[in-house]
Formats: sequence, C-alpha cells, structure tokens
Amino acid sequence: MITGLLFATVAGLLVSLQNIFNSKVNERSGTWTTTTLVLGLGFLASLIMGLLFEGKEQFSLGNTEIWYWFAGLIGVGVVICLVNGIKLLDPTYAISIALTSQVGFALLFDSFGWLGLEKVPFTVNKLIGVLVIVAGIYVFKLSGGRKENESEQSCT
Amino acid sequence: MKGILFSFFGGAFITLQGVANSRISQDIGTWQAAMITQFTGFLVAFIILLFIRDGNWQSFKQVNPIYMISGALGAIVIFSDITAIQQIGATLTISILMIAQLSLTFIIEIKGWFGVVKQKMKLPQFIGMGMMILGVVILGF
Repeated sequence: MITGLLFATVAGLLVSLQNIFNSKVNERSGTWTTTTLVLGLGFLASLIMGLLFEGKEQFSLGNTEIWYWFAGLIGVGVVICLVNGIKLLDPTYAISIALTSQVGFALLFDSFGWLGLEKVPFTVNKLIGVLVIVAGIYVFKLSGGRKENESEQSCT
Repeated sequence: MKGILFSFFGGAFITLQGVANSRISQDIGTWQAAMITQFTGFLVAFIILLFIRDGNWQSFKQVNPIYMISGALGAIVIFSDITAIQQIGATLTISILMIAQLSLTFIIEIKGWFGVVKQKMKLPQFIGMGMMILGVVILGF
C-alpha cells in the first residue's frame, strides 16, 4: 500500500517538472517537435534503465499481443486532444475538464476491472471520494483568478 | 463544445494509457512496457512531425539543455505509474498523482522557479487542495 502511494507521488512530482520543462521547449519549437523529442528520450531512458536492472531480459518480450504495439498511440492522442482543448477553451477550463475525466475514468476502470485491473468493488464511498476530489479541482482551478502558465498539461 | 470534448477525451486517454501500460507490463515487464509504448509513440509523433514541421532542430539551441532532457523523466513516470496502479488501483493512483502534480506546480509558481510567471498564494487553492486530499482519504476507507 505505502509503496503504491509513494510511487504515485513520485510520478506526480515528475509529471509536474516534466510539464514545466516541456512547455519551455515548446516555447521555442512546436508541439510535435517537443512531443517527438520527449517520447524519443523517454524511450531511450527506459531502454537504458531496463538494461541496467534486467540486462538482456530487456529484449525478451515474452508473449506480446498485437495491440501492445499500438498502445503508444494513446500518448499521441493525449497530445492532440489537450492541445486542441487548450486552444479552443480557456486553458484553466480545459485542464479542469481533463483532470475530472481522468479521475472519473479511473473509477470506471477500477469498478469494472477492465484491462486486467484487479476489480475494486464500486461503493458509495468511492463515488463520494471522487466527487470531493473533483469539487476540489474546480475550487483550486477556477477561483482566485490565477493566470494559467499552460504548464500543467500532461503529455506523458 | 468541441473544446470540451477534446479536453474530456484528453483526460480519458491519460487514464487509459496508465491502465494499458499496466496491463502490458504484466506480460512483458515494466521497463519493457515503458520502452515499447514510448518507442511506438515516438515513431508516430515523428511521422506527424514530418508533415507538420512545427519547429526545427536549430530551435533547440536556444533551449536550456536541462529542460530538453526532461523527456527522459518519462521512463520513471511510466514505471512509477504502472507500479502504483498494480498496487493501489487506478483511482487512488491517479488522484494522488494529480495532487502531487498540482502541489509541486503550485509551489513552483509561487516561487517563480524555472522562469515561470510568478503567482500569488490564494486561499481557494489551499481549500481546493484540502478537498482533494480529503477525497483521497474518503477513497482509501
């Protein structure tokens, strides 16, 4: 349990840094130049980490299903959707909506145990928890008239 | 309306991506899953780049190299995301990830680190953060 919480926290902190740094690169180039660079470097880093921790095992991929090779496209879909969402809406609204649907779909995936997830039974508690989080997102994002840095879109 | 749909699906895809990565890692391993999904994503982004050409490699010369290599962090992000989803499920993982992400971005904006436009600390942000943490506590019980 604790390791899971720690890993989720580490991922969140790094996503924050990465989004800020990516937006710095984005200022000088463009969305697709930045995305190509980020995914290329992420690939190289995963390859190196895999080789360090698992040696040759990194290349023994076991039984892959065809769709595994297309899952990377989801990341491209994320970029297309968020870039257009931010362009068409106020960034603050776009990001609030994206965060809301992130948590909403997570609850849906857990409750149905989709894609090999361990099924977490849906309870009223879970629904209330998610609703309080979503309300928190809107209080955080929409009040106080902060200017958006456009640095919070998640592209990983 | 279109903007709302784009944003909605953007968020849905982020969750789908985490869960799909976690499923793939059950068969081939975690670093392997991070490697192949980023590799195929990179290929497709590169093909799109060939058509759209929204920047050139020259433009990278003006960017601080530290900002540029941050893409490598993606490996650790995906590894951590997969591990967390397997241990505590998607809902808790994504909620905690989100709180950590918003908190650090908030601190960076207050301090104006990395040349980010400085923002003032305001009460609603603290209340919002408190509500998100309360929501996670409710989720956990």
